[in-house]
Amino acid sequence: MNSAEITEGSADYPFRFRLSPPGRWGLFVGAVSLCVALPLFAVLLFLLQPGPEWAHLQSTVLIKYLGNTLLLLVSVLAVSFLMGVPAAWLVSTVEFPGRRFFSWALVLPLAIPTYVAAFVYFEGPEAAIPLLVKVRTQWGVDAFLACEAIIRYGLLILLLSSVLFPYLFLGARSAFLQQGRDVLEASRCLGSSPRRTFFRIALPLARPGIVAGGALVGMEVINEYGAVHFFGVPTLTEGIFRTWFGMNDKASALRLAAIVMIAVLVFLAAEKALRGRAHFTTENTCSHPPARRRLRGAKQWAAFVICLLPFVLGFLYPVIRLLTWAVSQVEAGSPVFPSVPAILRGTAVATTTAIVVTGFAALFAYAVRLRQSRSREMLARIATLGYAIPGAVVAVGVMAFFGFVDRSEVPGLPVLGGTLFAISFAYFVRFFAIPNQLSHAGLDRIGRGVEEASRVLGHGPLQTFLRVNLPLLRGPLFAAAILLFVDLLKELPLTMILRPANFETLSTSAFSLAKEGRMHACSVPSLLIVLIGGIGLFLMNRRMDSDIRP
Amino acid sequence: MKAFPLLSLLSALLAGIFCPSIQADDKEITLYTQRHYGFDEELHRKFTEETGIKVNVVKAGADELIARLQEEGENTSADLFMTADGAGLDRAAKAGLLEAMPDFAELKNVPEELKDVDKKWVAITKRARVLAYSKDRVKAEELSTYEDLADPKWKGRLSIRSSTNAYNQSLMTTLIAANGKEEALEWATAVRKNMARPPQGSDRDQIRAVAAGLADVALVNTYYVGLLENSEEEKDRKAAAAIKLFFPNQSNRGTHVNISGAGVVKGTDKKEEVTRFLSFLLSDEVQAMYPVNTFEYPVVSSVDWSDRQKEWGSFKADAVPLSSMGDLTAEAVRLFNQAGWE
Repeated sequence: MNSAEITEGSADYPFRFRLSPPGRWGLFVGAVSLCVALPLFAVLLFLLQPGPEWAHLQSTVLIKYLGNTLLLLVSVLAVSFLMGVPAAWLVSTVEFPGRRFFSWALVLPLAIPTYVAAFVYFEGPEAAIPLLVKVRTQWGVDAFLACEAIIRYGLLILLLSSVLFPYLFLGARSAFLQQGRDVLEASRCLGSSPRRTFFRIALPLARPGIVAGGALVGMEVINEYGAVHFFGVPTLTEGIFRTWFGMNDKASALRLAAIVMIAVLVFLAAEKALRGRAHFTTENTCSHPPARRRLRGAKQWAAFVICLLPFVLGFLYPVIRLLTWAVSQVEAGSPVFPSVPAILRGTAVATTTAIVVTGFAALFAYAVRLRQSRSREMLARIATLGYAIPGAVVAVGVMAFFGFVDRSEVPGLPVLGGTLFAISFAYFVRFFAIPNQLSHAGLDRIGRGVEEASRVLGHGPLQTFLRVNLPLLRGPLFAAAILLFVDLLKELPLTMILRPANFETLSTSAFSLAKEGRMHACSVPSLLIVLIGGIGLFLMNRRMDSDIRP
Repeated sequence: MKAFPLLSLLSALLAGIFCPSIQADDKEITLYTQRHYGFDEELHRKFTEETGIKVNVVKAGADELIARLQEEGENTSADLFMTADGAGLDRAAKAGLLEAMPDFAELKNVPEELKDVDKKWVAITKRARVLAYSKDRVKAEELSTYEDLADPKWKGRLSIRSSTNAYNQSLMTTLIAANGKEEALEWATAVRKNMARPPQGSDRDQIRAVAAGLADVALVNTYYVGLLENSEEEKDRKAAAAIKLFFPNQSNRGTHVNISGAGVVKGTDKKEEVTRFLSFLLSDEVQAMYPVNTFEYPVVSSVDWSDRQKEWGSFKADAVPLSSMGDLTAEAVRLFNQAGWE
């Protein structure tokens, strides 16, 4: 980082010249961003050089991949909006039976990986077979094929929405809670009905939270691999695998990945542009959360049902099905338990990675803030893009990177490819965005006052971070580590490609059993994922609640 | 979240993760395998008990493993590469990732057509890709060849999995070899139109679809029927009871037979251990275990089939050389794409 960049703003933050050693923090920011950006740039390079099969893809399957991806994206976003946002509004602004329960329970579907939901919901098309057979005998083959497609696509959209809507729920809920009582009460005092207040004031004000949640839902849909494969709806992600591995055309496959990535970037940039210069924060941080109006009569039961439905679809039903399968396994006397040491190792890696990456992210967010220059902001944005690349592409990028490092035989460096270090590094690249964003948000809320006080009293930037910022960041960092841990627990494609020998996670063992069509057998590892993830989410949620409302 | 417990947890975790891998053991081999059957783990344990050689396993798709071998190059920890499909093995050999096997006694018991001319790979088991048809709705006389599945009489009656699957890709290479590219494309297009639903699920799901009445004929590997018959789930055993097997193309070139096999990874320093593992897998004892456990056919001709396999009946196998499969895979995928077979 050269000093020419640091010209502006010394008035509002006068200490940075004297106290931060120039370069060291900048180097750190640069190094972290570079790590994340390497696979990203590798992918973008391939935009320019189409592989041998590109023309063939374009004339045959590309439209289908794009169409399916767009269809899923739009409909899953719409359905999860309907599931998440009204429920978030209800639990944060009105009182009804079960409100306290739903305000944390509606996060639980996040513990269910999309592919596990797919195993469970796959019973739907199976159960519909007698009906379909009837349709065929009465109305012929074409009507039958149409019905089959509707049921399959419908269920896929429903299941993806049911387990992804909590991202929207979380985003919307924290936005609604932070809006504060004043604006909403002002609106009511000026004669708006509750409905009008919701549509004209609360919803527009909650837009950043909703968009952030929606962006996560969108990225999950685009990167989805297991469920779409299972339901026979090929999307761009499946196209990447197929082109790369089946047709042995790396260049065209990465070009598909680049399309995915650019779509995500355009989506994010469009939102930012639409938002323009508008600010959505309430200046008064002491504002009280809205007082909850108690609903009465039929209304309270309507609210109850609006919250119950997504909970049942996204959590209760899948868990009950998995439990019945597990019980029937035990009754049949042949329960399949995943290899315990391998699983412990997988879970230990997820835990360590979650803690270490979160620590890095906190330090990174702090370093970016330490000196507000445009280049650091750019680097910070780059560092969040790993989440936009499909896990499989990150995996191959990381594999290529370590292959190169190992071949160049740096003296004293052990072989890194195929080791736990390589897979942890890939997790870091892919998931850095989550703790990074939460740390940024957390730091923003702390404000600079305490930090400056610490610096004035003679602490260096690192000491200030360790002794002032870090303790204050406990809440958001805890949440970040848990979210990351749950994501790592569910992660599939990256783990499959990069895992070292004898390395098994709950997700890989569940998926390989399910791929063989052994649904009952895969219930045990699936349940363990849900259980461990669920406990984590429960703890996180309690923490967040106490943060928002001390 | 105090710093001390957190740090001690972290260091305990780190120690737990990295320590076991530090102590190197000479008596071990590392296997990159596409085979995903629980029985393989039993075999590895048995091998370790008999020889004291530990078997480390990396499981993934064949092509993912090939990509990984290519990236890791000389630094790979892999000693042996195993697939559940002949084409993947052939592609690895042609990519220069495998080396010739040393001679060992059991290798001679494997027929010539089931090993590579340069001894880069050898088959361990065989499986046939056959038709599973509904006992109630289809008569055996209605079935004849793979080619016949393109006939309009099957409209809305077939159930076959995705063309992303290696078994379908390998079958397609034999259709290209037998009938040429154009006919193969016409075939795939017509078969896709005859399907009762777009391709989805595993071979087991195709059999379930026939049993449930959604489709009348499914295209599956033989051993899945054996696995379903012995499944822990009653639903599966019922499904297996509702179908019968038909070996297509008996009147001409024969049924498509695929292999699961292994090749020695180039540059391994565990040649002796790997050879012992291969001779273990090809020993009469282990070869006789496959038919009753995974319901795959043995490759050593002196080893008997299981009773169930005998009931399915003997059949004529397509003699197209396995080594042509790897060359044609990319073409097969291209044709599937053109045919709209997902």
